Amino acid sequence: MRIGIVCPYTWDVPGGVQAHVRDLAESLLALGHEVSVLTPVDDPDTADLPSYVVPGGRAVPVPYNGSVARLTFGPLSLTRTRRWLRKGRFDVLHLHEPTVPSLSMIACFAARGPMVATFHTATARSRALQVFGTAMQPGLEKITGRIAVSPAARRVVVEHLGHDAVLIPNGVRVSAFAGARPLDGLSAGPRVVFLGRIDEDRKGLAVLLDALPRLVKQVPDVQVLVAGPGDPPEVPPNVRVLGLVSAEDKPRVFASGDVYCAPNTHGESFGIVLIEAMAAGTPVVASDLEAFRRVLEDGDAGVLFPVGDSAALADALADLLRDEDRRAALSATGSQVVLDYDWSEVTRQIVEVYETVAVPAAVELDDDTDEPDVEDFGQEDDPGRVSETLRRWLAVVRERVAP
Amino acid sequence: MSTAAYVVLAVVLLASYVTWTAGRLDRMHARVDAAWAALDAQLVRRAAAARALVPLLPAGPEARALDEAAFAALEAGQHGREAVENDLSRALRQVGALIPADLPEQTRAELETASSRVGLARSFHNSAVNDTRALRRRRLPRALRLAGHRAMPVGFDINDDIHDSSWGDGTDTST
Repeated sequence: MRIGIVCPYTWDVPGGVQAHVRDLAESLLALGHEVSVLTPVDDPDTADLPSYVVPGGRAVPVPYNGSVARLTFGPLSLTRTRRWLRKGRFDVLHLHEPTVPSLSMIACFAARGPMVATFHTATARSRALQVFGTAMQPGLEKITGRIAVSPAARRVVVEHLGHDAVLIPNGVRVSAFAGARPLDGLSAGPRVVFLGRIDEDRKGLAVLLDALPRLVKQVPDVQVLVAGPGDPPEVPPNVRVLGLVSAEDKPRVFASGDVYCAPNTHGESFGIVLIEAMAAGTPVVASDLEAFRRVLEDGDAGVLFPVGDSAALADALADLLRDEDRRAALSATGSQVVLDYDWSEVTRQIVEVYETVAVPAAVELDDDTDEPDVEDFGQEDDPGRVSETLRRWLAVVRERVAP
Repeated sequence: MSTAAYVVLAVVLLASYVTWTAGRLDRMHARVDAAWAALDAQLVRRAAAARALVPLLPAGPEARALDEAAFAALEAGQHGREAVENDLSRALRQVGALIPADLPEQTRAELETASSRVGLARSFHNSAVNDTRALRRRRLPRALRLAGHRAMPVGFDINDDIHDSSWGDGTDTST
């Protein structure tokens, strides 16, 4: 099949959606499909771009919801998107996050034919989505097949956009984690691993640190490894802070733990980190959040404790650290569970969606007037001007939707 | 500007809005048609896969029921299709326990693929139908009959699960 994928976020900035698109594109290529990815790229000259990536313009940083969203908009992006669509003659067009004002939305409005969209966002925090939801409806209703990556993301699609979506989880490269070696230079003794932003409260490091005194009483030689970006707090002697770990070292961090601990307090929509830990063969103790319970199959594939309850966490960790048979059993169950989330399985399901929506007609431009194939003269959209317009526009919108 | 100019402007705006909405409705009906074609193809594929399974099952009332249900599904027109496809799902659930362990992998895979695609195609079809119905129910399209003489599209509701054996106890109330 000829598949055109659109990623709304800048390729050379790390992020979940970008990683998803990259892994999907590479899995599809490995299956022998023809794949082209249109995405914003900040610096097409120096960025190390794979051959399947087509730059769709430069992203403009726009402050949005307390963080900075990097969006791509403007006449040049539109021209490039249209040219990409015309040249691509895709059997199916796969848009990621078409509600984000970026290339996916442009492509959605510019094309017609078999269109699949994947919705990643799980937080329906913005009233803006409701406002834009109505405005985007004429574009979104062209989409033939909708995919949500988690039940929470599906809920956003159903409640805010009034559509249904099939559930296909995020993929994990199981082979990259399976059989990883522990890190070098670790002291002996049972180890608990935590991975996540240290200074982000919802990741729950505080819950784990609160559990420590009670845990040490039961398992005196326990050691806690903390990996992730952020300023480390004052930590007791049996905690070792590893700081930010590289993607290559991540599997080894998981493999270094006798138990992986996910004490998150809220806001997890999927729990991919649990799947990564299980893929590395490490049993998981996680807070009883809906997403975690789902991945851990109601506790069959890992141990769940009440959210935020550090005493219960300490007991759960101690029980598991002292029970080698239980750890081996959970590890074995885990390595079966993760197969459902491996990219090979996820890609198979996505291809099934493609084959269901693809009809003999290919994707084409919606209003294909006989315009000449305009060369762009190497001019970028003026980022300053676009940014200013967008910022003013967003300010107006924010005023209107503010409670 | 004179009043006349305002009137002309309003008429032009209204006319372009109406034209645009009509075009939108037209595209949505095309999407429903395409989604139905896809669903129809997957249903036929499932029925064919079910028929291929029949000779590999031990002879008995379940196998005969499956053969009949699959044949009826292949013969059915759009009218009464839901009931026929529901019967086929139920017949497939009832033979679940009889499927021999040495069933050729290809037959099993074909049936699994076909039935999961029925689920996908049905979801996409019904979502196209819902979008179209929502727009057609709005005041302007209704008042101006923008949908023309096209029939209001209807969803396709069947139980397409072929695995859940608890459904196979004869109490299946098809929705």
